[in-house]
Order: sequence, then C-alpha cells, then structure tokens
Amino acid sequence: MKSSHFFKILHIAILSFIFFTFKIYAIENIDERVKNLTLELRCMTCQNQSIYDSDAEFSNDIKKIVKQKLQQGESERDIKKFLVERYGEYILFRPLVNYNNIFLWSFPFILLIIGVFFVLIKTKTKKA
Amino acid sequence: MNRIFILTPLIVLLIICIFSLVYLLSGKNPNKPPSALLNKDVPIFESSSLYNSKDVIKTKDIKNKKTLINFFASWCSPCKIEHPLFFEIRKKYPELYLLGFNHKDPTLDAKKYLEDDGNPYHFVGVDSDGLIALEFGVFGLPETYLINEDGMIIYKYMGPLTKDILKNEIEPLL
Amino acid sequence: MSSLVGFLSLVFAIGINFYLLLSRYIFKFQNQRFNLFIRLSSLLTLLSFFSLMYAYIISDFSNYNVFQNSHSNKPLIYKISGTWGNHEGSMLLWLSILSIFSFFFSFTKNIDEGFQRLTLIIQSLLHILFGLFIVFTSNPFLVNSILVNEGLGLNPILQDPGLAVHPPILYGGYVGYSIVFSIAIAGLFQNTDDEWLYVAKKWSLISWTFLTGGIALGSYWAYYELGWGGWWFWDPVENISLMPWIAGLALVHSLMMVRGEQAIKKWIVFLSILCFSLSVFGTFLVRSGILTSVHSFAADASRGIFILLIFFIVTGFGFLIFLLKEPKKSNALNLLFINKVSALVINNILMIIATLTILLGTIYPIIIEVLYNKRISVGGPYFNATVIPIMIPGFLLMSIAPILSWQTNKIQNSKKYVLGFIILSVLVLIQSYFLDFNTWGFVGLLLGFWIILASIIAIFSSYKVKFTIKYIQIINPHIAHIGVGIAIVGITCSSVFQNELDFNLNEGDKFNVNGKTVLFKKIETTNQINFQSLRGKFLFDIEKNQLNEIEAGKNYYPVSKMITSEAGILHQWNKDIYFILGDQKNNEWFVKVLINPFVSFIWLGVIIMMYSGLIAVSRR
Repeated sequence: MKSSHFFKILHIAILSFIFFTFKIYAIENIDERVKNLTLELRCMTCQNQSIYDSDAEFSNDIKKIVKQKLQQGESERDIKKFLVERYGEYILFRPLVNYNNIFLWSFPFILLIIGVFFVLIKTKTKKA
Repeated sequence: MNRIFILTPLIVLLIICIFSLVYLLSGKNPNKPPSALLNKDVPIFESSSLYNSKDVIKTKDIKNKKTLINFFASWCSPCKIEHPLFFEIRKKYPELYLLGFNHKDPTLDAKKYLEDDGNPYHFVGVDSDGLIALEFGVFGLPETYLINEDGMIIYKYMGPLTKDILKNEIEPLL
Repeated sequence: MSSLVGFLSLVFAIGINFYLLLSRYIFKFQNQRFNLFIRLSSLLTLLSFFSLMYAYIISDFSNYNVFQNSHSNKPLIYKISGTWGNHEGSMLLWLSILSIFSFFFSFTKNIDEGFQRLTLIIQSLLHILFGLFIVFTSNPFLVNSILVNEGLGLNPILQDPGLAVHPPILYGGYVGYSIVFSIAIAGLFQNTDDEWLYVAKKWSLISWTFLTGGIALGSYWAYYELGWGGWWFWDPVENISLMPWIAGLALVHSLMMVRGEQAIKKWIVFLSILCFSLSVFGTFLVRSGILTSVHSFAADASRGIFILLIFFIVTGFGFLIFLLKEPKKSNALNLLFINKVSALVINNILMIIATLTILLGTIYPIIIEVLYNKRISVGGPYFNATVIPIMIPGFLLMSIAPILSWQTNKIQNSKKYVLGFIILSVLVLIQSYFLDFNTWGFVGLLLGFWIILASIIAIFSSYKVKFTIKYIQIINPHIAHIGVGIAIVGITCSSVFQNELDFNLNEGDKFNVNGKTVLFKKIETTNQINFQSLRGKFLFDIEKNQLNEIEAGKNYYPVSKMITSEAGILHQWNKDIYFILGDQKNNEWFVKVLINPFVSFIWLGVIIMMYSGLIAVSRR
C-alpha cells in the first residue's frame, strides 16, 4: 500500500480535531468559572500550589473575592488585571502575552518552524 | 553554517550561566517576590481607628508627609519580633508618620497586644476583613511600606524588619 | 568516629582520582593497575557514604549533619533514608552513585582498552568536581560544636516510604547519564570505530529506566503525600527531571538508528552531552534554592555558585570538545517521505523542541527578574498549552513507527491500520458524547488507544508468535509503545475526567459518592512515636458486605511543628477515590472527595516502559 493512506489518517485526525475545538461550550456556572480561574492563580503563601487547590487563608480570601467579582459581572480578564495590580504577574500561572513574554510564547513555534524546514530540506523526493 | 549550529549550545550555556550568576549574586529571595506596587501611588483606603470608630484615616490624610505603613496582628509571631524597632524609629525620626494596620484581629486582642508591647504607631487603623491588605497586595504578615511625600510607595519589605534592614535599606530613603 | 572514617575515605577517593588524572596526562606514565584504582576509589566513596548512614542509624549527634536532620525518636527506615533527606547527604549519595557507575563500567569487556580508560578518566574528572563540591561547600561530616543528645528532626513531609527509595533511583538516572556523557566524549577523542555507540546505548537505556522509575515514584509520592489530588504539577523540580528524561528518550531512539545503517553520530553525541548537562543544571537549580518549589533544599549562594561553576565546566567542556572534534564522516540521512529514519528524526526533533520549551519555561522567570526586577510565574497552563500540542504529532507517529521500513516508503498491512483507526475514532467519539464532550479528553483517549491498537496489530501481523527470548526482544519496541499508550489513557482520564465532591459533615453522617453510600464513621486522634495523628474514618459502600475503610487526615509533628496532610485513597483498578479531610468549622468537617478515573493505568504504563527499557538493555 502507498503512503496516501497515511495521509488520509492524518487528514481525519486533523479535521476532527479542528471541528471539535470549535464546539461551543454550554455556559458554565459561577462555581466552575471560579474553579477554572483560580486553578490558574498562584497561592502566594504556598509552594507552587494553585489558589483552587489550596486551603490557606490567603487562597480562601481570593476565592471569595473572585466569586464576588464574577457575580458582579466582571470578566476573568478584569479580575486577573485587578489581582496583577496588587500582587504582580507572579500570581498568574499562565504568563500574560505581552512584550516581555513574547519570546516565551513564540519560542516553541519558532523551533517547530525550524524543525519542519530541516525535515523538508533533508527529505529526498526520490521513491525507493 | 554548520559551525553556527554547533556553537549555539555554547552560546546558550553562556547566557544561562550569566543570568543565573547575576540572579544568585543579586541576593534575590525566591520566597519574597518584588512588590507590584513599588513606585506606584498608595492605594485608596479608608479605615477607622482601633480606639475610636469615629476617627477615620483616608489616603489623602497621609499626603505631604513621609509615612511608614505596617501591617500587623496579635496572632502573628514575627510581628512581635519587629515590634520594638518601631519605637526606635519613632524616637529617631519624629517627622515620620507611623501608620499601623491591624489585620484580621478581634478588637480586644489587638488592644491587649498594644497594651502589653506598647503602641509605637501614630494611628492604628482597623482592617478587620483584610480588604485594605488586599489593596496593598499583602499576603503574609508582617509587611511594611514606606511612602514618600507625593503618596508614592518607595519601599516594601516582607517579613519582620531587622536592624540591618532598617539601617541599610530604609534609613537612606528617609 | 564514623564521621572521621567517612571524611577520610571521601578525601582519599578524590585523591586517587587526582592521581589517575595526573599520572596519565602530566607524568605520562601508563598505569598498569588503572581499573583497580578506579574500583578502589569507588569502594572508598561507598565506605564514606555508609559511614554517614551508620552515623544516622546510631543517631550520632556529634555529627552536625545528623544533628540537623535526624532525631533518635524515629523509625529505623527513616533514619536510613534520612541520610539522603538533606542536601549534604544527598550529594554524597550522588557521588556514590557516580562511583558505582564507574565501578561497573570498569568491568565492561570486549571494548577497546584505551577507550575504556579515557571514559573512566572523564568519570574521574567528574568525581573530582563533585567531590570537591562536597568537601568545600556541603561536608556532611562536620563535627557538632555543642554537646547534645537530641537532634532537630527530619522534615516530616519526607518521612515516608516513597522518599526512602525515590532519590536513589532518580539519581541512578541523573548520574547514569554521566557515564553516557563520558562515553560520548571518549568516543569523540578516539573516533575510530562505532563500537562505543553500542556501549552508550546500553548505559543510556539503564539510566533512562532509572530516571523513569525515579520520576514515577516522585509523582506517586506527590500524589498521596501532598494531598492535592494530582500527581503532576509542572513544578520546577518536576520540569528539571522531565528534561533529561525526554532528551534521554530522544537519545535512546537515536541510538536505535545505528542499527538502521545510518549512524547519525553527531546528533547522538549532542544528545549525550545534553542529557548530562540537563541533569547537572537541574542539580544546580534545586541546590541553589534559585527556584521556589515543593522539593527545594535550603538555599545557600556559595553552593549555588560552586555548582553553577561545575555546570559551566562540564557542559562547556562537553560542547567545546564537540565543536573541536566533531565526527567527520557521517553518512547523509536516508530520509524518505515516510520511512523509519524520517519517523525517528521527526520524533527526535519534537522531543528536543519539547525539552527546550520546558527549559525556557523553567528559566524564563529568572531572566525576567534579572532584566526587569519583577517576578512572573510560568506554570502548568503554559506547559499544557505548548508541550502537549508539540508532542501530539509525535504520539501519532510512534504508533506506526516501529513497523515502518528502514529503506522504503512502504507500510505493511496499511489497510488494517486505517480500518483500525477509523473504528477506534468512531468508538471514542461515541463514548465522549456520553461523557460530556471534552476536546482534550477526546484527543488523549484517541491517541492512547490508537497507540495501543496499532502496536497490537503490528505485533500480530508482523511477527509469528513464538515464546522465545528473541521474540520478546523483537516485539519489545511495540510493548514499550503499548506502555506509553496505556499511560496516555491514564493521564487523560485522571486529569480531564476528574470529579470533585465537597461535603460538610458531622461524625456519623452518610453521604453519596459515585452512587455508593459512604459513612463518616468517626474522628480519631492517636499518638504515634514521632507524630500525633488525626484521622477521619470513612466506610465506603456500606450497602455491600465487603467494607472498605478509608482513613484521611493530618499528622502533626511536634519536633518540627509541622502539619502534613494524609490523603485517604481507595484504589480500584478503574479509579482512585481520594479523600481529603479539611478543617472543622461549626462542628462540621469539610471533606473533599476526588474521583480520579484510571490513575492505575499511569503506573501500569510506566512499569511496562521500564520493563521494556530493561529488555532493550539485553538486546544488542
């Protein structure tokens, strides 16, 4: 059999992946939003633990504030901004995409592009 | 072309080593992140006095004077260690306004603490729900902030103050 | 007394290595008893290590290190494991393992004698560097200046059977790469034949297997000891162990290519140096206290600088030799559109990208803090968003890679694979609609099952079933990949489909977990030898006759005034039910119950991978 079958497999995989990535999620309830947000926040008094996972007093305070703010209709973005203004970007486990972090976020993709070029250049086109 | 590829690891190594060395030598403490509020305006706050609930202090009340803000609580044992230092500061710098915020403390405990160990502060504000601490980005007691005449935070220290810190880091700013 | 013996033998061992180094390169005389000297130095280092252990066992508090980290009132096993539960002792363990590797390497037969010696000389150099580090900055044999009859105690979080075995095995991996490093450098110098590649393969497989075991034990320990319900947190120390693991995986796979006629020596040498460099760099990051982590040791800048220097020397030396002595002739790669070589090359590239991404993510906060004096976190969300997508094409490829041909573009029996993939996709899709569709869950399950299925098809359609050692060796790559597939299924299920239930309970309350009734029997406090324990006792599934009792609670260690949480875990083959006892408020206890599906698959997958690693060692 030829390699075209392999292509088809890839095709199906990629297409289904793209299709489902765009699937619209049902609107989450407040508790789930609090969970998703606090999972990405650092408990400042703990060691590398997220606020969600932590039972420290600090974490419980922040959980309360996050919930309160979500109920008041503030967006996740606003809440993160609010916290960063007070505790610094250190509190965010997911680094912001900003000028300082552009290298951090683009690095894997730069490497990926270099890798793809490498493979393309080295691949022989002749059939064996 | 090939050479450049082989040189890359050495260059990366050099960069990593330089950054690590600078970090190590700068004496940074991984457990004490730099404050996000440094060189920013003092947050807006309003707090009533521990002794008289009608006596209120607001952000604008500390304009035009150097202020040292200290967050403390009776249940915080490191606070007790640094406590005597504030008397020394008050004696040495009578111009400096000492503002203490009592963090999440029952009123009686706070009063007893200041009775037993003395009260070095010009004003003791109550922060019973921790909302003022939140505005200042406090997450572990004690924390101390130095604010200049323009209402800007020019220094922050986490943990109990020591004589060395006072002499080497705070006094030059006074 | 034992401290003196330990210190002297440590110094003597370093002295012997100095002697070996000088005798060859300064005085130019050939040492007839070279191997004997190497073995002697290894035994001395071990003697040093065991004298420290002895001091711990008899609680000899005249030794400052024992005084700082032990307590007479502690079970024997934690006295033994306490030897490496601190910075100084664990560095001595590191050096001892280095010696053990040299010791065994000196017995290798059928290799060029000059090459063997050169390898051992490089090992000697490493021994000297780390030995001096111990003597000058982290001496575990210092004498306690005050007379005491009790020690300060071991960090309670480390008083656990997991800790007893985790570091020795993990170091077996880290330090094992030292011998691969030395072999590669020696190979560069000699550069005569390709024999060293086979030697390197064996040792890199051994190291990788150790590292796999060490990481898995560490995760398992974090899973039940930290009580957060997860087993991987993208903690810096975890990242540090993951980097040499992935690089080592790339190395092992590259060494496979030697069999496929094309030796890509340059790349292999690069990876060998990289693996050990990453191990040393990891040691630097942990020991200097430069990163906050659950696992870090006490910080000390002078140690940090010394070990940074070692890292610089070792890595710089390695890559410099690589630059000067790069292998001259390496045949062009026979990369066809889709053959085994190109599959391996693509996987290698992906693994290296993953490694470098983790490296950047781990050190980026340091760079930012130096440049801008502000601190950022690079945590789980970053690595999940970058490393996992990078690995996905690799996982797709690995399912079929072992049956690809070295020479041609053909895939045998490709119809079966296509059919298998399509059926599998439909099945996973159907099941994922029943269980709240989740993109990552879908992708992970599909990938995991696809890898398992393709490997099984490959085993049965490509080779005749025979029960011989040869057969076991031939199907070994597929078995390894089945292990990976099982682990992926476990990882996906336990992270994506984890379910959390919160309760506020009184003693005697009944509550519902997963359709089963659970009784919160009682709270019990007891005094153990070295801690006080608070346990909530739960009876799971009280309708059935077979009762499962689960204990979850906290321990209080009076010596160090610390509280550790002790999760109660009910292991079932298809899920773990994980109980966490919280605080008491208004007479009600907060109880968190996590249902982690298929966690056992992760450990099963890891065990299969380790088994395959060992089988591969035996195959030439």
